[in-house]
Amino acid sequence: MAMRTILALGETNLEAAGRKVMATPNANMRFWIITILLVLFGLSSLKIR
Amino acid sequence: MLLELFQWLAQDIRAFNVFAYITLRAVLATMTALTISFILGPAVIRWLTAKRIGQAVRDDGPQTHLVKAGTPTMGGALILLSLGISTLLWADLTNRFVWIVLIVTFGFGAIGWVDDWRKVVERNPKGLSARTKFFWQSVIGLVAAIYIAFSISAPNNEKAIELFIQWVGSGFTLDMPTKTDLIVPFFKSVSYPLGILGFIVLTYLVIVGASNAVNLTDGLDGLAIMPTVMVGAALGIFAYVAGHAGFSKYLLLPYVPGAGELVVFCGALAGAGLGFLWFNAYPAEVFMGDVGALALGAALGAVAVVARQEIVLFIMGGVFVAETLSVMLQVGWFKYTKMRYGEGRRILRMAPLHHHFEQTGWKETQVVVRFWIITILLVLFGLSTLKIR
Repeated sequence: MAMRTILALGETNLEAAGRKVMATPNANMRFWIITILLVLFGLSSLKIR
Repeated sequence: MLLELFQWLAQDIRAFNVFAYITLRAVLATMTALTISFILGPAVIRWLTAKRIGQAVRDDGPQTHLVKAGTPTMGGALILLSLGISTLLWADLTNRFVWIVLIVTFGFGAIGWVDDWRKVVERNPKGLSARTKFFWQSVIGLVAAIYIAFSISAPNNEKAIELFIQWVGSGFTLDMPTKTDLIVPFFKSVSYPLGILGFIVLTYLVIVGASNAVNLTDGLDGLAIMPTVMVGAALGIFAYVAGHAGFSKYLLLPYVPGAGELVVFCGALAGAGLGFLWFNAYPAEVFMGDVGALALGAALGAVAVVARQEIVLFIMGGVFVAETLSVMLQVGWFKYTKMRYGEGRRILRMAPLHHHFEQTGWKETQVVVRFWIITILLVLFGLSTLKIR
């Protein structure tokens, strides 16, 4: 009956920083890059249909 | 390259006509460059580390930067690789402006490569001498300036050469169409007639100046690349408008047939830049080095000239301008006071400007993100010149 976790820490940003995979600013900026891409993808739906 | 393939396929399957749209190819170029950066990034960093191509840190810089010594540099090669492959895949390779911008970008990248290689691999602290570097920058800048001067006024290369011969034959006095005028933002009918020589000189200064300005800005993790991405993306919009007969007429900007294809290049630049930022974000796993900084700055300058937006580049690239001015003022004032008072005095605690703010107590990431915020505002201000005039 051991409790298991999917991530080392929730939320995903803490998972990345907590596991020492990424430094905090690194995790921040990479999440921003992903958001920029998602925004661009969303904006492209204006023209591509 | 793929455009030709899709045009051939479109003869049988009409759906492939969708690739004729510049906007779609720009989005795909962004995605392609980003994907290439993500895939090749770790391998390039491993290779640079294995070859011990590590950054030397200036000993008169901030003490907090000493830990950066040995971080792999020349990562600009990754940017150029993904930018080049993506542009060659998605751009119309019959377009003159794509080629001239690529040649300028890779030409300046080659200068940076040689400089970095000598400094980092051959352990020659002087690298390429300032005179040699400036000579080759001038050669590429002048050749590009002369080519662009005639190509934006002529519909094809044959006409451009004819125009050039006429200009030389006239004893360099031939007048150019108004497309070479310097566009003044926010004014409908104000533009400064440069003439051919004036245009060539301005273009040369814009390309070489932008290249060195980005190089000076490249001193903190992520500081140079994000403003380059933002300014590059905005210039892509200007190039699209300049290359579109309808939009350029509506927005009262000069129509430069073919300039729109540069959106694909700018998209690839944004994708390659964001892909690089992934590894360059604080604490950086790799630095771009001169190979990246000189190339990216020259690329911005060349696109701005073709899109006829030199002043807007000056506005949007305000961070680059401020960094350059900070060095010029600091050095100038130091030399002047040393001559006048026998003791060199400083305006800033340290130049370039980003080091000054670090010395006042800002953390590196604070300086970087705040300079990004300023660039966002300047880019929005620059984009507003499209409509407000």
